[in-house]
Amino acid sequence: MSCVLSLSPTYYRALKRLTLELAGIRLGDDHRFLVETRLSALARKEGFANLEQMIDELFSRGQTRLAIHVVSALLQRATRFFEDRPSFEMIGDILLPKLHQFYKGGTVRILSYGCSSGQEAYSIAILLDKLSASFAGMKFEIIGVDYPSWALESAKEGRFTHFEVQRGLPIRHLVSYFDRAGEDWVVKKDLREKVRFVDHNLLADIGDLGIFQIVMFCGKLTQYSPPAVIRILRSLSRLVRENGYLVLGSGEEIGEANYGFDIFQDATGCYKKHSHSKPENIAEKPISTFQETAKGTHRDSSVA
Amino acid sequence: MARALKTCLIVDDSKMIRRVALRIVKDMQFETIEAGDGSEAIKICQKKMPDAILLDWNMPIMDGMSFLKALREEAGGDDPIVIFCTAERDVIKIAQALDAGADEYIMKPFDSDIIESKFLETGLL
Repeated sequence: MSCVLSLSPTYYRALKRLTLELAGIRLGDDHRFLVETRLSALARKEGFANLEQMIDELFSRGQTRLAIHVVSALLQRATRFFEDRPSFEMIGDILLPKLHQFYKGGTVRILSYGCSSGQEAYSIAILLDKLSASFAGMKFEIIGVDYPSWALESAKEGRFTHFEVQRGLPIRHLVSYFDRAGEDWVVKKDLREKVRFVDHNLLADIGDLGIFQIVMFCGKLTQYSPPAVIRILRSLSRLVRENGYLVLGSGEEIGEANYGFDIFQDATGCYKKHSHSKPENIAEKPISTFQETAKGTHRDSSVA
Repeated sequence: MARALKTCLIVDDSKMIRRVALRIVKDMQFETIEAGDGSEAIKICQKKMPDAILLDWNMPIMDGMSFLKALREEAGGDDPIVIFCTAERDVIKIAQALDAGADEYIMKPFDSDIIESKFLETGLL
């Protein structure tokens, strides 16, 4: 039987501080039930008798691995396929044709930043597959990046529940791109091989991911604290190639500081990186795994 | 003047499923009608075509597939958006439903998020 383990106000305050420090995300007092629900499941999985025992262990020993799991559990978002449809329509109808015209071939790299369980990255892959005939000679590389978590592990497997595949995914896409696996559905191998997922602390140095023509960071900006927003936007500015695009969710803005971006054609939530030089050949810099970038993550993960 | 609500016909032999679906669809500002099988549903459609039909597959008297074929042969029968809502999860069954003219497909069990998502995809919302 699953029941929710409760958390004292002192422990909740400590967790709020931890989440803010590690991930730059503010948990409100109204998140308490959600936090207890998610951490109860984690505490059981980690073999603790109760939630407070797990938090005690976390703060007394400063366990980095446990801290990452706790924060990841707290940050898991319920995502859906083709979430924020206007952004996908803009990518398909405007951004990709412009990049195709600009680069006339080569490889376009697309990043789903904060990809959670992978719906956004796989939605991009489906979109590109549907449009492949329009972009002859162009190759695509899709990468999803997020904190290490169970959600990210599911993303790597391409495995989704019966409920997840019915949220935002047209039935024809389900039949074309997924295979049934018992109660779940798994992304077909061909499509799965077009997407790579990388474990990474989103607040750590992400320069080793290389640079991208399109970075998607949809619907997530508002959950971060103001200092974290600045840090993330600076990082994203470094990740987007000149003449490339940053796609935030509809209605999301980067604020007064432009971080090297211009609003793109008055489209809310889409920004184009300033151009300072002629287009170069698109570099295909290899990306690292979480293990290779663990230094950055662990440095930011110190607790207590 | 207030715009007329769209109508949704819910066809399922389970009273409980109809009640759950009805509540979800009503919350999305639809007018709802119920039918316990395909033959009852086709009579309702012959009087007035609904905008949307949430359709179970396995029902007594007339099943969902027979209803869909009969509906599409009626005058104005191409107009309603038909969304199968069934326990059938086999890919072959899904393909059969789409070939027969279904616009979308929901696999039971469902929740309000799923119904809303399918209504959005088919332009009902």
